[in-house]
Amino acid sequence: MTKNRNKKTTGVYVHIPFCVRKCNYCDFLSFAGDEAVKERYVDMVCSEIEAYCRDRSITADTVFIGGGTPSVLKPKLIERLMDAVRTGFSLTGDCEMTIEANPGTVDGEKAEVFKSSGINRISLGVQSMDDDLLRRLGRIHSRKDFLKTYELLRNKGFDNINTDLMFSLPGQNFEKWKNTLEETADLKPEHISFYSLIIEEGTPFYEEWKKGSLEEISDDDDRKMYHFASEMLNEKGYVHYEISNAALPGRESKHNLKYWSMEEYAGFGLGAHSFVEGVRYENTRDMEEYLKLYAKAPDLWKERYNVINRNTVKDNAEEFVFTGLRKLEGIYKDDFAKLVGNDIYDIYSKEINKMVNEGLLKDHGSRIALTKKGIDISNYVMREFIKDKWKL
Amino acid sequence: MSYRDYIRNFSIIAHIDHGKSTLADRLLEKTGLVSERDMKEQFLDNMDIERERGITIKLQTTRVVYKANDGNEYIFNLIDTPGHVDFTYEVSRSLAACEGALLIVDATQGVEAQTMANAYLASNEDLEILPVINKIDLPSADPQMAIDEIEEMLAIEAHDAPQVSAKDGINIDVLLEAIVNKIPAPEGDENAPLKALIFDSVYDNYKGVIIYTRIVDGRVKKGDMIRLMATGKVYEVTEVGILAPGPVPFKELKAGEVGYITASIKQVADARVGDTITNNDEPTSEPLPGYRQVQSMVYCGIYPAGTEKYEAVKDALEKLQVNDAAFVFEPETSQALGFGFRCGFLGLLHMEIIVERLDREFNLSIVTTSPSVIYRVTKTDGEELMIQNPSNLPNMVEIAKMEEPMVKANIMIPNEYVGAIMEICQERRGRMDHMEYISENRVVLEYIMPLNEVIYDFFDALKSKTRGYGSLDYEFIGYEQSKLVKLDVLLNKELVDAFSMIVHESKAYARGRFVCEKLKDIIPMHQFEVPIQASVGTKVIARETVRAYRKDVLAKCYGGDISRKKKLLEKQKEGKKRMRQFGSVEVPQEAFTAVLKYDEK
Repeated sequence: MTKNRNKKTTGVYVHIPFCVRKCNYCDFLSFAGDEAVKERYVDMVCSEIEAYCRDRSITADTVFIGGGTPSVLKPKLIERLMDAVRTGFSLTGDCEMTIEANPGTVDGEKAEVFKSSGINRISLGVQSMDDDLLRRLGRIHSRKDFLKTYELLRNKGFDNINTDLMFSLPGQNFEKWKNTLEETADLKPEHISFYSLIIEEGTPFYEEWKKGSLEEISDDDDRKMYHFASEMLNEKGYVHYEISNAALPGRESKHNLKYWSMEEYAGFGLGAHSFVEGVRYENTRDMEEYLKLYAKAPDLWKERYNVINRNTVKDNAEEFVFTGLRKLEGIYKDDFAKLVGNDIYDIYSKEINKMVNEGLLKDHGSRIALTKKGIDISNYVMREFIKDKWKL
Repeated sequence: MSYRDYIRNFSIIAHIDHGKSTLADRLLEKTGLVSERDMKEQFLDNMDIERERGITIKLQTTRVVYKANDGNEYIFNLIDTPGHVDFTYEVSRSLAACEGALLIVDATQGVEAQTMANAYLASNEDLEILPVINKIDLPSADPQMAIDEIEEMLAIEAHDAPQVSAKDGINIDVLLEAIVNKIPAPEGDENAPLKALIFDSVYDNYKGVIIYTRIVDGRVKKGDMIRLMATGKVYEVTEVGILAPGPVPFKELKAGEVGYITASIKQVADARVGDTITNNDEPTSEPLPGYRQVQSMVYCGIYPAGTEKYEAVKDALEKLQVNDAAFVFEPETSQALGFGFRCGFLGLLHMEIIVERLDREFNLSIVTTSPSVIYRVTKTDGEELMIQNPSNLPNMVEIAKMEEPMVKANIMIPNEYVGAIMEICQERRGRMDHMEYISENRVVLEYIMPLNEVIYDFFDALKSKTRGYGSLDYEFIGYEQSKLVKLDVLLNKELVDAFSMIVHESKAYARGRFVCEKLKDIIPMHQFEVPIQASVGTKVIARETVRAYRKDVLAKCYGGDISRKKKLLEKQKEGKKRMRQFGSVEVPQEAFTAVLKYDEK
């Protein structure tokens, strides 16, 4: 993990909030939208990028088009968007450029456009190989749709594909999860994410849960599914490198690793987050406001950003630990010292020792990482590092 | 004619929710000194908590000017009274400052327990009671029923009682004239030695204690040396004035008038409600009758929670005491909770109000222990102890006799609930003393009950079983011998003294089981199993277990939204702060009060 503070390289995130329909578990900023809105929105994002980059030379080494479902955009809008990104930023030669796509929203033409506009990594929202479960989740695709899309992308030459999978789903049992995982791994995607379902407020699943009609998976079963996934993927040659992510060696998501390593990223579009020069920003979450501003004066991009926090040293230390521990190799003591200016034990000796004694953290010498048990209750570990006051 | 002929001093008394505050608002609106723009929703209630609970806790007195039909201007001193059984003594002192009382009766409800209790208090003070039928605007209003009940049950003539709607402002002018014509003007001799009643006192940061007073005889002005007869302390008057309702300085107060006095008094406990003020140089021979020192009936421990500082809690308690003479506290130590305070209250409501104010006004994180009454324990060697903290109970073998405080509970309910209420009274070891049908469908039950059972959850149960129609009033009648035991709670095999309580032998098993079940729901999962046990002596009588938790992990990251994750962790951390650590077990603060709550079964 190296970071060169002199040379400015950033990650770029673009949020596309549109979906064909909203899934039953989803609380992300997303909704259906008509074509006219999509077009105005993409124009707005383009002008936002243009204004951000104007008179500056910013090098980007990752680009991530997320959502929502970015793949619902028409080919010409994807081209327009990627043009803006390539014009605005100077991209490194090995720049990782990801777009999230749903099986069923990608055809040959779109795949071509992905390719021609520089996208070299596709993140597919598969979630499950079980059609019953896919329906239960409110997904628009079937297992067959996914297999077709996957094959199509491979045929078009995409050699870096992620598949998102979910477990702990209502109605799912261990067998079904095992089948989904095995079938997916057998396709050998370069990257597999496996998320335990979170019941978020404001989702249909939450309403069901409140009524008590959601077939909840017990914590014990959830952990069984999780650890099975970790072991199985390991056997198949994947590296389980982050709580919910595994990749073939060298295929870890460079973009997502930035989030876990206190590196910079500039976000564009509705509700997008940025971390630039030690400040965390959030873009407006109000679509009307977002579009209105564009109509008025596209140069006002800065006004749309709310500063969430100007990170203090204490913020940096806390965030470094609780994001960094998501990586299974953990946090490097040197990196902490560089960022915070103190040895990690100067600040957190009590916390670290407590967690080590409870068997949740392990000190590996140059780095500190969660244990297997620590992963299961990582929130418990991480919140230990959020302190009211600092005594140095 | 004397100036006194144009003064009317009165209180408004009513059962809770019969519209006392709304009526007070209307009276103020229709008279001078208060403009409509000044009107808040409930003008007399100036505390947040009161507004939420819809009851008046602290008195606030207001002087207004009314121009009557006879062409004269009359001064009305409206003295507000607290509306709950916990504050009976304060009510009686406020009434003692008046010549009359407006007895508000809801035209849809008729006479209720507190209507009766308050009417008795008022007639004990020889007040002229002016019945007022309120809420005549409601479709279900039956003013004749209310009038009949007042006449039958209270023996107060009510056939020409003003029938008003405080909400809609109907017939308020009729009422104002009735006040002038029916309520007597105050008597007294302004040339006699000073004799004045303290009926309330509040603390003000700039003026010190503001004494609310009714001058019975004599006069008082700035510079006078006054003596408070119960405490014997002497002060120099720094200001006198009227209440409008904020203090407005006057040159002098004289016999028959109501107003305030400040005299650099440091805390309200020094200006006790009911005490008599006299002139130190020319004192009156006899104090006013009726003074008594308020006696705490209910005690509980208050401890700093989590990282809260002992000193911060102490400061807050001191500040509250400055303004609340009925609230007492002293330091104590708990094995489980460390350093804290044993606090005494008039009743459970009073306790809840104080606890809420600590949270709301002082932003303190505290733990309260099970409330307890004062038990009288006679040891085998003849020594007598008053025990209000279960932890101080001597070993059972050293106890010859235990007695508990008893109350006479006056319960008024619609007749269809008689069975249900008799059941909950019996469950709480009540003995029926008297039962009377006061009207066709209303019943008064008189029970002799242990105070312990009343403070626990009786009022909640009564309200719940009668859909809110039941009302309760109680008074302390003395001590009675009883078979009591100490019930302990053990978490992870360790005794947590803060949960210990003294209960009747026949209740120990049920209470033990209930507490264990409650704690099982409230104590969060830990990384290990947490056994919860209830025991009497060394015998475990109930047991539950909190399972160990297996998972607390956030699977997803939200597109670089680190702040969301941070908020979650902070929220969890905040929750943890409200926890109290017992050995290795974390117990949320609400556990201490939750084990006391009434459970609808």
